[in-house]
Amino acid sequence: MKKVYAREQYCINCRLCEVYCKTNHSKSKDVVKAYKKESPSPVSRISVYGDSKASVAVNCRHCDDPACVKACIAGAMTKDKKTGIVSVNESKCIGCMTCLAVCPIGCIKISNTAVKCDLCSGEEPACVKNCPNKALVWLEVGGGAK
Amino acid sequence: MKYVVIGASAAGLAAAEQIRKTDSEGEITVLTNEAYYPYSRPSISYYLKDKVAQKDMPLRRKQLFAERRINVVTNSEVTSIDRKEKTVKCKNKKYPYDKLCIATGSKPFVPPMENISGKDNAFTFLDFASAKAIKAAANSNSKAVVIGAGLIGLKAAEGLVKICKSVDVVELAPRVLPSILDDKAAKIVKKHLEENNIKIHLENTVVKVKSKGRKITGVVLGNDKQMPCDLLVIAVGVRPQTELAENAGLETERGIITDCKTMQTSDKDIYAAGDCVVSTDMLDNSKKIIALWPNAVNQGIAAGSQMAGGEEIFTSSYSVNAIDFFGMRICTCGLINAKSDKYSEKISQTENTYKRLIFEGNRLVGFVLINSSENAGIYTSLISNKVDVSTLEGDIMSSPSLFLFNKEVRKSKLTGGVEV
Amino acid sequence: MINYIPREFDIVRDRERCIDCGCCVRQCGFDCHYFDDDGKTVVADSTRCVACHRCVDLCPTGALSIRKHVCDYKDNANWTPRIQQEICRQAATGGVLLSAMGNPREYPIYWDKILLNASQVTNPSIDPLREPMEIRTILGRKPEKLTAVKKGKSQTEMPPQVMLETPIMFSAMSFGSISLNAQKTLAIAAKNLGTLFNTGEGGLHPELSDWSDYAVVQVASGRFGVHKEYLNNSKFIEIKIGQGAKPGIGGHLPGEKVTVEVSNARMIPEGSDAISPAPHHDIYSIEDLRQLIWSLKQATNNEKPISVKIAAVHNIAAIASGVARAGADIVVIDGYRGGTGAAPTRIRDNVGIPIELALAAADQRLRDESIRSRVSLVAAGSFRCSSDIVKAIALGADACYVASAPLIAMGCHMCQKCNTGICNWGIATQRPELTRRLNPEIAHERVENLINAWNHEIKEIMGGMGINSVDSLRGNRLMLRGIGLSDKELEILGIKHAGE
Repeated sequence: MKKVYAREQYCINCRLCEVYCKTNHSKSKDVVKAYKKESPSPVSRISVYGDSKASVAVNCRHCDDPACVKACIAGAMTKDKKTGIVSVNESKCIGCMTCLAVCPIGCIKISNTAVKCDLCSGEEPACVKNCPNKALVWLEVGGGAK
Repeated sequence: MKYVVIGASAAGLAAAEQIRKTDSEGEITVLTNEAYYPYSRPSISYYLKDKVAQKDMPLRRKQLFAERRINVVTNSEVTSIDRKEKTVKCKNKKYPYDKLCIATGSKPFVPPMENISGKDNAFTFLDFASAKAIKAAANSNSKAVVIGAGLIGLKAAEGLVKICKSVDVVELAPRVLPSILDDKAAKIVKKHLEENNIKIHLENTVVKVKSKGRKITGVVLGNDKQMPCDLLVIAVGVRPQTELAENAGLETERGIITDCKTMQTSDKDIYAAGDCVVSTDMLDNSKKIIALWPNAVNQGIAAGSQMAGGEEIFTSSYSVNAIDFFGMRICTCGLINAKSDKYSEKISQTENTYKRLIFEGNRLVGFVLINSSENAGIYTSLISNKVDVSTLEGDIMSSPSLFLFNKEVRKSKLTGGVEV
Repeated sequence: MINYIPREFDIVRDRERCIDCGCCVRQCGFDCHYFDDDGKTVVADSTRCVACHRCVDLCPTGALSIRKHVCDYKDNANWTPRIQQEICRQAATGGVLLSAMGNPREYPIYWDKILLNASQVTNPSIDPLREPMEIRTILGRKPEKLTAVKKGKSQTEMPPQVMLETPIMFSAMSFGSISLNAQKTLAIAAKNLGTLFNTGEGGLHPELSDWSDYAVVQVASGRFGVHKEYLNNSKFIEIKIGQGAKPGIGGHLPGEKVTVEVSNARMIPEGSDAISPAPHHDIYSIEDLRQLIWSLKQATNNEKPISVKIAAVHNIAAIASGVARAGADIVVIDGYRGGTGAAPTRIRDNVGIPIELALAAADQRLRDESIRSRVSLVAAGSFRCSSDIVKAIALGADACYVASAPLIAMGCHMCQKCNTGICNWGIATQRPELTRRLNPEIAHERVENLINAWNHEIKEIMGGMGINSVDSLRGNRLMLRGIGLSDKELEILGIKHAGE
């Protein structure tokens, strides 16, 4: 499946991926409104870790055998058979965060429910589209954290 | 090939689905004593507090079972297993099997109390039916008493406090959540619960109930203190449901004994998975019941696969618990109450956050996180992969991220080793 | 100490649009932006702002703008604010003033005083979209005469030649003065465009060895990184005598820029200052130059043209003639507006002459002496657009070197702070956290787009003149007319005034 891959050698710690992810998952799809007006505040599903010396963006690997799906006690976390996208059904999620406790790369966010990368439902993800340095790429290659 | 699975929660469902993945032909029957298709048992407390609607309780869409040709039979309590004839019996119906999986889970334990039997307003809290019954019984004038301050008891209390006039929790142990928290963490949680109007009575228990006919009107505690009560929830703990296995002559010891890898019992055609099974804790090799969802799913997958001739095995057991009470997030894993010289610990604490990591030598073997569970899964992976923490680059006590690992490891975790 | 110099710019933040995401904080290498004491609100200190626009261009909400800081001095046409500020800077430091990039002063730009011709009626113009238009360019010594042609094949022994798909090359910028990613960008673009990049005197980084067929390797007074493989892994070799931005002056790469990688490429100890002497200490005459050219030809089996780069100075025509006679195959003349990573301000702004005049004079002199075909003439020193290139070719250039324009395509905003080692665009820096910002995958496409656009424009302009080959444009001064120039200027340029 096509996934987002981070290339640490080009990550410039600008964290615009977070800004645009949050915006794309907002009601208004407008950066300023997403940050200043909307309540509840939308949550970015990608996070840049590190500092100016070395940084990298982390979002869901959509693992082949996802620990979060197996751990979900509410049946809210599923992996779509066709697209391979691992996503949370927010009305089923009870916010227990067991998924977060088993995710080996740390990509699940805490809000009222678990929140995570949905690969922008198949369109070119906002983080990739807006990365100013091609540190994020959207590619069809195998592999991923188990 | 005929497969029968007894029980339709985490382990039973996982086993049935794994059988279908491995064997596209065989006949799969899942028998459940409940009235519902597989649903999320942990969601019952959220149902109680109206966070999850009944329509969101099922774990799968109903059509999916038809599509996967998994025959779920509700209201079918299995009464016996005939190993010679290879059948299981429900009341007056028999189901023949070639391979059988027992995933009966656990049952609530009701401690001896004077005058408890035959009361209409005493409940356990383990399945959807009990949650519905409690919800029907509770109202804004109710004075609820919950016996047990474990996960189930406190979740019931959290749900009830929204509805009832008062909620009192009685716990025999000297702290709340005794099985998943240490003393310091428990104090923080207790304070938070009390701030949210739950009264906690530690090192105490209900010895007697007072009643008017079939209706409880009050309870008497061990210290002779009396409390009015018109809704009693008994949640002191659960026991593995092993009667079927025992009566069929399978080897049991508190739970059902399996080989812990293929999940095969002492009968080669019978497998067992989930909360009814004795597991080995990979962190200290102790035998215990690890009654946790991910564990049950993984055991179910292994059992299902093996039953259908597949090769999945169950590899690791350790406990991971994540739970929230009134917005306070608690996440614990591994050996949190280990008391021995070979363990060391690191603690950082603020007014409402707490982080304690437990090490055995250079290995992380457990953690307790309160309101600091960001990326806790990275700690969990350090535990399950038995990582030598001296090889890590970042400060293990800071918020964990992939930057705990060196560049190569980080890259392989993110890209699976692919050059991009 | 009070520094007596008002700040140059004001950072203006639109609080209505700022979302305090902190992108500007993390992008400013001069630490202008920072989080206030609350750790949440972004504020800025304009005093260090250089107007590089990194923050402006990356701000996701367009909340930032940079304005010139207005602080008037009492009018004085002689003691201008710039002069006063330079005095204050020297009063504070006691040092030589340093600057980067090309001469920014208001000297005449002759390109802007030369107009191009177009065909009307008597000779038809050519539509480059319908008809072939040749801009392929060949550099190197031309044979003195053709010898017998046998069965349609020339028997002439050809001196080494270099073929370019465009008359535009990338001029010398060393690894050290620019980042490896910047040099790699130029290398990739050179390959894809069918032209050449130039290593400067920084040696060739091993990572660029795949592009050595598209490299011009420099031999300069410091001889940094020069060895046999370096010379042979190239398209041609360039002896650098002078540079337009600082004629008569050597180079100085401060030790802090000499990282492990730079030190390996230059073959000098890590952290040591890389000092290029003002002269080559083995060249004190045309004869000495001839000897070096000969040595380099020997080292490369006479397979590569040898180029000599000189700064445009007084008597440039005679110097170019001497260089040609010393055996150079290519003569590069670098005008006084040529760029640099660092040069003494007074030198940059006051030494040398415009490339337009130098090129015209040298081309004319070589023709007068009948040795024009012995050398190719390459012009350098600030080509800003395709019409500058067309005019240079009509004045006699075989090809042009460009550097500032591709740097701008990569992100350079001409803030002229290359000499500080901090380049927020990852070009003129060796700091890993900054060089990472220039991803060659993006930058090479931008540079190629720029040169391809110029190629299209060159073809269009040539077509309008009724010319279908760059060879027919070369030295074709009839295609040029001066506007507002004195008789002397027209005479040196060898062109008529507009209207004539």
